Amino acid sequence: MPAEHMGRLPLRLRYIFAVSSIVFLATLAISPVKDLQREWKHYKRGYVRLAEQRPDTKRLLADVHPDIDQIWLPEMNVVDRCTTCHQGMTQPSLDDASVQQPFRAHPPVPHSVTEWGCVICHRGQGPATEVAEAHETTLAWEQPLLSVKFIQGSCGSCHQGDLSQTPKLNRGRQLLAEFNCIGCHRLEGIERPVMLGPDLTRIGSKTSREWIYKWLKEPRTITDANGTVTVNGYETEEAPRMPQFKLKEEELRALSAYLSSLRGQPVPPYSFNPRVVAASAKNPDAVTQGEVRFRQMFCSTCHPLAVTRAGETKLIGGDIGPELTKVGSKVNRDWLVAWLRDPQAYLPHSKMPRYEWSDEDLFRVTRYITEQLTDSDLLKDVNALPAPAPDEIRKGRQLFLEKGCASCHHIDGVSPQKDFGPELSALGAKNVSQLEFSQSRIPRTLLAYIQAKITDPSSVNTAARMPQYHLTADDLEAVTIALLAMTGPPASPGLRRLVVERQEPVFRPSGAFGKVYERYKCYVCHKFNGFGGDLAPDLSYEGSRARRAWIADFLKNPQTLRPTLVLRMPQFNMTSQEANILADYLSMALQHPSVDLEADDAPKFTPQMAALGKELYEVKYQCQACHTIGSSGGYVGPNLSNAGNWLTPAWTEAWLRNPQALVPGAIEPRRSFTEEEVRALAAYIQTLRQSAKPAAGAASHGAGQ
Amino acid sequence: MKRPYISALLFCLLAAAAGCGKQPSAPPSPADRAYDVEADWNDPQRVIPLGYRAAQGKRIFYTQCVWCHADATPAGPSNRSNVTPTPPLMNDGATLNKETNATLRNAIALGGSALGKSAMMPPYGRTLSEEEIAELIEYIRAIAQPPYQAPAIPPSGSAAK
Repeated sequence: MPAEHMGRLPLRLRYIFAVSSIVFLATLAISPVKDLQREWKHYKRGYVRLAEQRPDTKRLLADVHPDIDQIWLPEMNVVDRCTTCHQGMTQPSLDDASVQQPFRAHPPVPHSVTEWGCVICHRGQGPATEVAEAHETTLAWEQPLLSVKFIQGSCGSCHQGDLSQTPKLNRGRQLLAEFNCIGCHRLEGIERPVMLGPDLTRIGSKTSREWIYKWLKEPRTITDANGTVTVNGYETEEAPRMPQFKLKEEELRALSAYLSSLRGQPVPPYSFNPRVVAASAKNPDAVTQGEVRFRQMFCSTCHPLAVTRAGETKLIGGDIGPELTKVGSKVNRDWLVAWLRDPQAYLPHSKMPRYEWSDEDLFRVTRYITEQLTDSDLLKDVNALPAPAPDEIRKGRQLFLEKGCASCHHIDGVSPQKDFGPELSALGAKNVSQLEFSQSRIPRTLLAYIQAKITDPSSVNTAARMPQYHLTADDLEAVTIALLAMTGPPASPGLRRLVVERQEPVFRPSGAFGKVYERYKCYVCHKFNGFGGDLAPDLSYEGSRARRAWIADFLKNPQTLRPTLVLRMPQFNMTSQEANILADYLSMALQHPSVDLEADDAPKFTPQMAALGKELYEVKYQCQACHTIGSSGGYVGPNLSNAGNWLTPAWTEAWLRNPQALVPGAIEPRRSFTEEEVRALAAYIQTLRQSAKPAAGAASHGAGQ
Repeated sequence: MKRPYISALLFCLLAAAAGCGKQPSAPPSPADRAYDVEADWNDPQRVIPLGYRAAQGKRIFYTQCVWCHADATPAGPSNRSNVTPTPPLMNDGATLNKETNATLRNAIALGGSALGKSAMMPPYGRTLSEEEIAELIEYIRAIAQPPYQAPAIPPSGSAAK
């Protein structure tokens, strides 16, 4: 339109132009105003106000600028804008609970915030610049922040081995293995445990159909509303391994029929020396003597028993083997005798050592177990069941497979179904939209999903095949953390390089030593070069520590120097020949590279040195706070009454110089002894000898074992 | 004729209004935000939240210190009664709250005899790192009964070392 015609526009049109221009300008103005109101700018201003109130304002404001901050780590796919609001993250003076979030400093952790960003550990949405989008599940941004309570799950995404800083994660992984979750689910990095549920190939020869029925119907384990776990009615801290299957009456009958029909090759009962049997029948104290023997052998190191003290019944004893308070009402006597004589003949993967028995002991202990460890009420609410019918047996076998029993319990000729449950190796990285909640009333979060699936699978899916696990609150938290760590293969090459593989040392020596080592299952309690249990002292360097003669004596007659401990080395009754095989191997093969037994100072020890050592021990360093000699002293460290016969001088000196160099994590602190003091103390310790029977034992370096 | 303008105007206003007004949700409870927790020794029902550092201190305490500074230990009875003078319980706020962090650090790192106290308290300065000792002190402060009150921040910039 030519300019001269403009004035001729009708008034009405001019009016419209004017209004629309104003509206247009106003609309454009919204954008800068809105920008000024952004949430993160509010926090930027808040931080400046906070800094101005604090004494170190200048320092706090040194790095502050008015824009969005971000940590960009292209290698790891990290774009974290969290520090836009969390501005005090690296300011040590803001590491104080009185500082309000989002300005508080990050507590010092092994990884620096600037090198790692935030979401690798905390999850949430790094690139988001609004509080809700960064922290919660929103329509487009699904990954919510992980509560700090569960943060160890993030450590586990890269650290596949155990870390001392992550006890909950370590416990959770141990539980995943112990509960044999990988029997049904694929879980990367969780090893198959040495011991699954018992092999049931010959269960019918061990116990009755009624007992099996009772066990399946109402596992002896009950968790009440407070999360208190009771086994057979006794409180325990151990999580029971067999989960609860909700079985119907006909299923119970079919399964008990099938299982009780499994008897395997009949084993002829062991025939005791008739004189032993006759003597026992005449001896009114035979059962009591059996109990004494049971205690002397320290069966309780592995098997707990219910003990009532001051009106309170608790399980006392170790947790390696099953609880035995009512076992006499479960197993039949011939089976028990055969089991005690050779556990691996019945259950090849059993951790139970094969003891050397005399007929007398075996008979007494068997009588004690079958006559005293009983409960006449155990099966009172189970009606007598008839001999199993063939169709019940057939149905039971089918159920055994359908219910997934075969994933934990081996039966010869029955193979478990492959991939019975879904793969869980990437469960911890799943978004809510990838989880199947169906119609359940579970909160729509990954945490709630995982915990409901474990504690009550039918609450998520009424048709769930998964049984119900009873875990204490702490164990449930630990298992959840371990599952959150299952985030699948790393998403970027940078992350892939960060993965710290799990080390799985194995120590299974061959030859004569290997046979005795397997027979007595030394590795169930002791550690050897990183392999084995941690109930008893690490024996990787026992050959440097203990004198050979002492080892051989100890093995034949283990006597603890910690009378206060409930769990002690069992009395295996091993033969001299076996003890010598073990002692030879330990003293020759298991030595510490830095302890030179040849360069021995002992010949130079003088009575004067020993006298000085005694004074250092008693007055200057007061070692009696932790060590006992004779009848007085503490019991944090081992009893030293017989240390001269027990410890090698070279080990004693090396230990006094630096205990942690020999045993990482040893409780005894590293001191600043002079070389003269080291030799004097070693000279004194070498004078501590008990003649007769050596009373030193359980050569533990600390009560923490 | 008028309609389209009005609807265009409304559309613009709506677009501007969208995206405002999302409220941050309520923060979780202290125990849920904690790396670990410890039950109050005097009142097991009360749960004390521990941050990362105090949680590391707890682990060190239960490995090294628990044997003499608690009446219940993870294995066997406490050694506390064998030590003279009797060591303070680690949650004994009445005794330990008075001591500064520096004094506690010295007692742990240098042992009792360096402070003119019992030689039965050995030095841990060559066993634990300074960081581990600081973590331990953080744990001791967290479990103290009566609770420990940190001294007020001094007026000059000494809070930021």
